[in-house]
Amino acid sequence: MEYSKEKKVGEGTYAVVYVGTQRSTNRQIAIKEIKTSEFKDGLDMSAIREVKYLQELNHPNVISLIDIFMAYDNLNLVLEFLPSDLEVIIKDRNILFTPGDIKAWMLMTLRGIHHIHRNFVLHRDLKPNNLLLSPDGMIKIADFGLARIMPGPRETLTSNVVTRWYRAPELLFGAQHYTYAIDIWSIGIIFAELMLRIPYLPGQDDVSQMEVTFRALGTPTDKDWPEVSSFPSYNKLQIYPPPSKDEFRKRFIAAPESALDLMNGMLTMNPHKRWDSSQCLQSVYFTELPPPSNPEDMKNFLKK
Amino acid sequence: MSDYLEAQLLLSRPYLTKNQVTRAQKNTISDRRIYNQKKLTVFKLLTDTCAQLRLPRKTLETALYYYQRYHLFNPFETELCYTLATSCLILSCKQVETLKKVNDICTTSLKLRNITKLNQEYLENFKKRIFQIELRILESCNFDYRINNAVHIDEYVIKFCKSLEFESDIAELAWIIAYDALKLETLLIVPQHSIALASLKIAFELLGLTNWPIKKIETFGIDLMAVNEAYFDIINFYINAFDLCDLKDNLPQKSSIMVSIDAFLELKKKAGPEVGLIEIPSSEIDADPFISSPRDFAIMERRYVLSQKVLANEAFELNRSRDSAA
Repeated sequence: MEYSKEKKVGEGTYAVVYVGTQRSTNRQIAIKEIKTSEFKDGLDMSAIREVKYLQELNHPNVISLIDIFMAYDNLNLVLEFLPSDLEVIIKDRNILFTPGDIKAWMLMTLRGIHHIHRNFVLHRDLKPNNLLLSPDGMIKIADFGLARIMPGPRETLTSNVVTRWYRAPELLFGAQHYTYAIDIWSIGIIFAELMLRIPYLPGQDDVSQMEVTFRALGTPTDKDWPEVSSFPSYNKLQIYPPPSKDEFRKRFIAAPESALDLMNGMLTMNPHKRWDSSQCLQSVYFTELPPPSNPEDMKNFLKK
Repeated sequence: MSDYLEAQLLLSRPYLTKNQVTRAQKNTISDRRIYNQKKLTVFKLLTDTCAQLRLPRKTLETALYYYQRYHLFNPFETELCYTLATSCLILSCKQVETLKKVNDICTTSLKLRNITKLNQEYLENFKKRIFQIELRILESCNFDYRINNAVHIDEYVIKFCKSLEFESDIAELAWIIAYDALKLETLLIVPQHSIALASLKIAFELLGLTNWPIKKIETFGIDLMAVNEAYFDIINFYINAFDLCDLKDNLPQKSSIMVSIDAFLELKKKAGPEVGLIEIPSSEIDADPFISSPRDFAIMERRYVLSQKVLANEAFELNRSRDSAA
């Protein structure tokens, strides 16, 4: 057989993940064995979405789907082996990372999401835990279990997507039509988390998430987001003013002005005005000093 | 685990030629007449289920692709066909993101078949059978999700119409023709946008319009031979099986056109010699195990890849390791 499963490394709702080896190349790979029997609705949607989108996306900052195989009547997805993720790095207090490292991770994440959006796909679950790190220090966007193709104008979408802390305001309001802007918001929150090394907007439930988000970033009004007040849940909100530039500087004390501009662009309340991936990638933050670290130099984080 | 278990590597081929389809079906369909009859019943069942559940045309189209594709590599069994059809519809809902509760799809489908003894136990057993088939359907498609993903016939009828600045009556007629096209094996042979354009061309000609904007169409970058293939397939269907078509009973209300076999014979006459995709010689098809050998689902590891490059790389690595072992 071409693939061997050597060690179980994780188990999710719809799959068990093993580390293994591809025999013809002798390279390490990850095998996601899909649990087909445990679902009352047959093959899980997450598995279908994962295959559907990874088959089409090929980019250095997006996880590669190497192969699909059936063995003993089980469906297996062979993915590139990625030993760590940004959540592990952020939480590990023994790891010290530099502004250049943060810049490199942001750059790689934005390049990956730019490619995903350019192919009309919404990821809908960006968080540090889904930004994996390859043995050579590259960020790879993973977990396409909630992804979907950009819908037609008449199609409605569920707002129950994205892990709560990384959920954009339009999702918190229950919007049924949204765009790539929801992914950019998540990256903005991840950017803040990389600088603070603690989750930026940790709501305890869906209601408190609105409170936490708007207290930190200001409650949107019709002036800067026309008709936001027509969302049913808007009336119950307390109106907080947006933070001043000084307040923002105090929160992210070590961040240069260009980083704050980029974060502001990504965390703009109005999704129509929020920066898209091209605008983010063209931010001054990426061209001014310090330069983004070389991923090769950052692979030491994986060994610690 | 033994190192010597059998493995198979298959390269996806989402579309086959007409002769390849016929050759593959030789292994799976023993009585073509019964298969065709059942296919029409299944078509009706799926249409009615979709209508009751308010599912769009793309869901029906994808389910019919799955149903026909399944029978290229799995034996046709009369008793199984309705269960298979329901399984295809459930999978199709997942594929095109028009999600419905599995219970709703199953009960609607069973009720339409006049199965009234619907207790929980019966339903659970039915679902169990459906889910067993699900993976087999995907295997028939080589897990190739690129197909039936973003391109659907009805949507492309509208897109082409807008792009070519056609009147909406052409789109409406083409949309009905495209429904009839779903009854054909054309779905297995050419991509959906080609069928959309062929339906549009037939509608254009049936309405007596001239000057088909071929120059503009050439800029779309479509394989015109694939469009021709679909065009002649659809016209031949109307000529050979006019009684089975839905067009004759569902003409657009505003339209004054009359359709008959003669109208299609006239179109065929004007179109000239039948040209379409280049056919592969029978000897080559017979020598191609992907088509001519029945699928062996007993093979322990069945791998599915989409890229020729992956296949070539693997063959290279395999040969290299064999050489070094020697």
